[in-house]
Parts: sequence; C-alpha cells; structure tokens
Amino acid sequence: MSFSTFVTDKAGLQKMYEAIISKHETYAPVEKFGKYDYKKVSSLKECDPDSPIAETMSVKPLFFPRSSKIMKYEATSAGTSILETDQDPLTAQRVVLGVKHCDARGLQVLEAVNKWDYIDSDFLKRRENTVIFSARCDKAGTHCFCTSLDYDLENLDALDIAVVNGAEGKIYLQTRTERGETFLKEKLEKSTMYNVQSTNDESEMKKQYVAFAASFRLKMDYKDINEKMAKRFDSPAFEEASRNCVSCNTCAFICPTCHCFKISDEKIKDTGVRYKSYDSCNNVYFTLEAGGHNPRPAKYRRWRQRSMHKFVYYKERFGVNLCVGCGHCAISCPVNISIFDVVNHIASTPVGS
Amino acid sequence: MEEVKDKIVSIEKPELLAPPDWKPVIVGILCNWCSYAGSDLTGTSRTQYPPNIRIIRVPCSSRVDPWFIIKALQTTADGVLISGCHPGDCHYISGNYYARRRFLVTRELLKMVGFHEHRVQFSWVSAAEGAKFAQVVKKVTEDVVKLGPLHLYKKENFNK
Amino acid sequence: MDYSKQIQDIAAKLFADGKIDVFVGYRMNGFDDNQIPVVITDPKEVSTLVFTEKSVFNLSNYLKADHTRNKRAGLVVKGCDSRSLNLLLTESQVKRDRLYIIGIACEGVVDDKGQKMQNCIECIVPDAVVYDEMLGNPQGRKDYIVNADIKALAEKGLVERREYFEEIFENCIRCNACRHSCPLCYCAKCCIDQETASLYNGSNTASSAFHALMTWSLHLAGRCVDCRNCEKACPSHLPLHLLHKQNEKVIFENFQNHLAGVEEGERGAFYKYSLKDPDDFIM
Repeated sequence: MSFSTFVTDKAGLQKMYEAIISKHETYAPVEKFGKYDYKKVSSLKECDPDSPIAETMSVKPLFFPRSSKIMKYEATSAGTSILETDQDPLTAQRVVLGVKHCDARGLQVLEAVNKWDYIDSDFLKRRENTVIFSARCDKAGTHCFCTSLDYDLENLDALDIAVVNGAEGKIYLQTRTERGETFLKEKLEKSTMYNVQSTNDESEMKKQYVAFAASFRLKMDYKDINEKMAKRFDSPAFEEASRNCVSCNTCAFICPTCHCFKISDEKIKDTGVRYKSYDSCNNVYFTLEAGGHNPRPAKYRRWRQRSMHKFVYYKERFGVNLCVGCGHCAISCPVNISIFDVVNHIASTPVGS
Repeated sequence: MEEVKDKIVSIEKPELLAPPDWKPVIVGILCNWCSYAGSDLTGTSRTQYPPNIRIIRVPCSSRVDPWFIIKALQTTADGVLISGCHPGDCHYISGNYYARRRFLVTRELLKMVGFHEHRVQFSWVSAAEGAKFAQVVKKVTEDVVKLGPLHLYKKENFNK
Repeated sequence: MDYSKQIQDIAAKLFADGKIDVFVGYRMNGFDDNQIPVVITDPKEVSTLVFTEKSVFNLSNYLKADHTRNKRAGLVVKGCDSRSLNLLLTESQVKRDRLYIIGIACEGVVDDKGQKMQNCIECIVPDAVVYDEMLGNPQGRKDYIVNADIKALAEKGLVERREYFEEIFENCIRCNACRHSCPLCYCAKCCIDQETASLYNGSNTASSAFHALMTWSLHLAGRCVDCRNCEKACPSHLPLHLLHKQNEKVIFENFQNHLAGVEEGERGAFYKYSLKDPDDFIM
C-alpha cells in the first residue's frame, strides 16, 4: 500500500480537527497549571494540538496508564473471590492529536518490550485502535536531541498521520501507516470542507525537516555512545554524575519510554483493588527485597542502571535505544540534570579509570 | 435522627442527591480516659443518643494523627468526631494540648480544600459528662444530616 | 546578587585547611543561565562554583544523601534554606560541628522566566539564620504577609474551592517528587508509601493523591519553610504551596507567631504547646 500526501491550510486543518473531535473519541493536550497533558476533549477550544514541547507531558499514559486497575477482590475468612477484572481497555477507534514525534517514537520503542516474553495485549490493542496525528514541530527545544538518535524523523512510521508546516501557511498531511491512510481517506471522502488537495510535491516538507534538524543545540553520535557506555559499567564517573541527583523520580514518571511498574493493593476491610502503577528504578525501594537486602543500595548504582538501560541493555536486547531524545527529564528535573550531558560526560571518561 | 428528609444534597457537590434511605455515618475517635468513659456513662445512665456514631478508642487524643481523620473521611465517614479530656485533665499531663494544635490546623486545611467545617468536629468530654456526650453526638449528627452524604475523594474499593 | 567569587575563595580555603571533605554549591549548567547544584570533593573544581539570583534549589536537601551525611561538608544557604537546615540540626539529622555554613543575605531568587519567585516577594527571613560566615548585607526580619493565593481562595465559596482542589489532586501523577525534593522529608520509610498500611496508595487516582498530599502537608505543618523545592520538582506544576501556606498562616496567626526554623533549637509548631492556644472550635 502506498502512502499519500495532502496539502491544506490552517483553517482547513482546524475544521478537520473539529470534525474529528465531534465524531471520534479524541485526546489532545489540555493545559492545566501551565502544563499540558493528553486528555479527552469535546471541542478544539479546550486543547492545543501545537502545545510547546517543554510544557507537554508524554503521550505514554494513554497507552500505558499511570495506574490501571488489574482487579477488584474480596478476601474474607470464607475465601477469596475476584469481583471484577480488568476489562477490555479499548474497542472503538480513538484519535490523538498533537503528538510529538519523539513521543510517538517512544510508543514504537515500547512495542518491542511489550511484545517480548509476556505479551501485553492491552498496550498493543490500545496502540492498534489509535490514530495518531503528529504535532507541528518547527523548532527544537532547549533539551531536544531527537535527531541524534536511531530513528528517522522524516519517515517515522510510529505516527499515523504526520502534520508538517510548509511555506506560506501551507500545511502538509502525510500518512505513514495503513491505519492513517484509511482514516484520512475516509475523512476526506466524506467532506470537501477542509481545502485539501492531494500532492506529490514533498520538497517543501523535506525543506522543513532540514530546517528543523538545523535548529538543534544538542547533537551526538548514538552509536559511539552505545559502544562507549557498554565499556564503562565500572566507571567512577557514575558516582560523580549522580551526586547532585535528589532521587525524586520525576524523570521516570514523565519519560515516554520508561516502563517499570509496581503492583500494589489498596485494601479496606475485605475488599481491595490491585493497581499496576508507575515506578522508577531511581527509587530506593525499587529493588528492595522482602528479606531486607537491596542489590542497588547506593544512588549511583540506581542511576547507572537507568542510564545503562536506556543506552546499552535495551539496545542489546531489542536493537533500539530506550531514549528518544525528547528532553522531558531535563526539563522536569528540579536540579536541571540533563541525561544528554551526563551520558556524554560518562562516555568521554577513560575506561577503567 | 433515624428519619432523613427528602432531597438532601451533598453540600460539597450540590449536584448529588442523597438516596432516600441515606443515614449518616459518624466516626467517633475517643480518648480512653475521658471521652470513652464519658460515652460509657451515657450508656449506663440510659441517655438516648443517635446511633449513627461508630466509636474508636484511642489511648489519648494526641494519638490522633491527622491521617486518621483523612482515612475516615475517605472511607466510611460522612463526619468525624474527635473527643478528648478537657484541657488540664489529660491522663498524660499534656497530650490534649498537643492534639489541640494539630486539630486546628487539620480542620482549617480540610476547610480550605473544600470540606464543610462541620464534617470534622472536636469536643472535650470528661468521664463524668455522659449527658454532654449525648448532646455532642446529637449535634454532630444533626449537622452532618444537614450537609448530606460526603462524596469527596472516597476510595474506589470501599463498599459501604 | 553575585557572590560567586567570595564562595569560591571560601571553599578553596576550607579545602586547603582540610576543614571539609565535600562542598555543596551551584554551578552553571553550561549552555544557558540556569544552574545545577553540585557536590564537590575535588578542590580543583572549586572554580566552577557560582551563586546568583538563579541559585534556586534548597541545598540542605543534600545533607541527607550518602555523600554528605557522615562527612564534613561546606554549603551555601539562603534565608529559607538556612531555616530548613536549622530544623535538620534541631531534629538531630545533621551535626553542626561537621558543617561549615556560608549564609547569604538573600535578595530573592528568580524562576525560569526570570521573575522573582512568589515566596521571595513574601519572604519573612531573607538572611540566613544559621551560618559560620555571612555574605551580603543583612536586611533583618520582615513582616509576615498572608499569601495572596490563600487570601483569594479563602474568599471563594466552598464548592469553588472544592472544584479547584479537585483539579489539583486529579492532576497529581503520584511521582512523589515533592517528597523526595523536600529537605525536611528524611524518614527512611514514608507513611504515604507504607505498603503494609491498609490505605496504601500506589495509584494516581484523585483519592490517592488527596490522601498522599494532605498527609504529607500535615506532617510538614509547622516545619515547612516555604523554599518551594516541591513546586520546582512537580512535573505537573501543581501549586503545592497552597497546602503549606494555609498551614503556615493558621500556625502563625494562632500559635504565637510561630515560624518554622527561625530560632535556633526551636522545633516545629506541633512539638510544643501553649495554654493560650485557641480552643473555641472545640465543643
């Protein structure tokens, strides 16, 4: 199946968004307390599909919720019974507007781990039933380094429909997957209100991507980093780099690719709910065993686990980096630690020193 | 107090109506030495008071962590009553003075986040004040009936 | 307000005299004017130390970490930081003789947008209260101002306040960053993630956020020094100061103008009492 490109203008795109919101279950960045989070919307006024990346949470919670109910149970002296189990999370198709490229790539990266060993059908089903419209990223943020990682922004197929700015107010819509193709075609057949024309001229899109790639402050060679990090497990630089971390775990909670979770019970009297919710390897309790032994008691060991998992272990196992270069962790960090700086610093230290 | 009038709304969430058979549940946290003994006296002297209160006995009113109040409000309670010895009468000399500070701050904070001030009430009841205990429970129950059921931040798994 | 040079000199001298093993300060992050806290063990790195109005993070948080807990440490504290340090000293979490404290007579720090932080506008104790050496001109104690947000909220109706706070609790993602970044939260196991407690909250529902944030703020009542580390750490940008400022206001107005950590050796408001404490709300 070949994928197609369309061109429209801002008014046309807005009309299309409105039509989508009125017809489908739609999620888009909604501002609250100065931070955008993906929430269900009922009109375009509530949300901003072009929300600034620095103030936008990752889209991950729509696919891997911050906490999901596994089951509700009753445990009495007569025995234990399960009252409810996790229901099918999503059956109807839904649409997400304004997803950043890096966030979408995060979902793609997560697919690998969700298909491995235990197959997380909930995550995969949610992804399958969701049509993702990308956001119009024009300029790199202070902490962005997505172009330095192992994916091609221009042909990223983690999103279904790419929305790209062109010159003179033109906006390009490019389908990247079959799901996107079917969805967009169907939309365009039904209405002619969106000023949409089919086009084969992709030169302007290319130009935009080139300009975008040029606006990056941070650049690195990920292959080099992967190799160097793999050799520096014992590097004392981890200890130095982790000293000013306060172990607040924010980085893991807002990361588009972190996928560690904990299982916890909230029980009152006889009935309880079992939740699966986010956890972080930076948390001191994360590896604490029931017997009291903690394999990663020191902060730098937890810190090393996090950065090595992102750039070495995941790469070895699944062939992709677990970091997508969104810079959310650096933005949210209360002490302004940037994973880019730290990883580069560690890679630059001599081996075995 | 058994009967509940028609159309009682929850004061914090006016859009929610109380079911017709709704009866308020008050969680009473009483100090062992004065208030619990006081409530005992109420019983032995056969004074009538509303049956909506569920009593928990604690060693001293200063044993009441604000957390207890929060837990009660998130589960069973439509209202909470905390009672201890009169100032100066504490079995542990000064426990209720410490408790008094915490209660004020807890009460004001709960008020701030949107709980009606009558949801959480405090009283000093001595072991000799059986009649006062009955009165206090009556007042708290009356207040809470006026406020309607509490629907704020209830635990999902809680079945009343 | 730029004390970079003085701090570098003091730190270098302390290292040279062998008085300290580590120094906790700030350095530039290398590309814009934001700063990163830094824990220095090597005297050569002293020249990276800076202190300007961008030095926001409360460094007394680092005293509970492994690197500094049992070492002789030098650190820089502003007014609010020194109050939390004072409480840590009073609560026997750090030893005074192991510390060399550089106090700053703080003129207020600025946020990411370059505007003076709200807590600095309302600051009561701008000068460090515990120090070995003071930099800048002491400004003395200022008058207590009731927080503007608290004033505005108090005037609102019950339902409006409930709606506002419900939004706060609904937007909490329960990462507990507020707790971890708080200098005064040093419990080895916090009550809001006790797995044995029947009300254990792992989920990020509004009810669990309500439970966690309310319990947390009430455990900090009378101790919170309004340094806003928690707000800075919050990835959802929640106005967590509302809970703390409300407690602070009630405590200041009712308990003999108590302010946390201002007097040496004075513990939090809940560790003491007065016979004159208000009693009129109790039946």
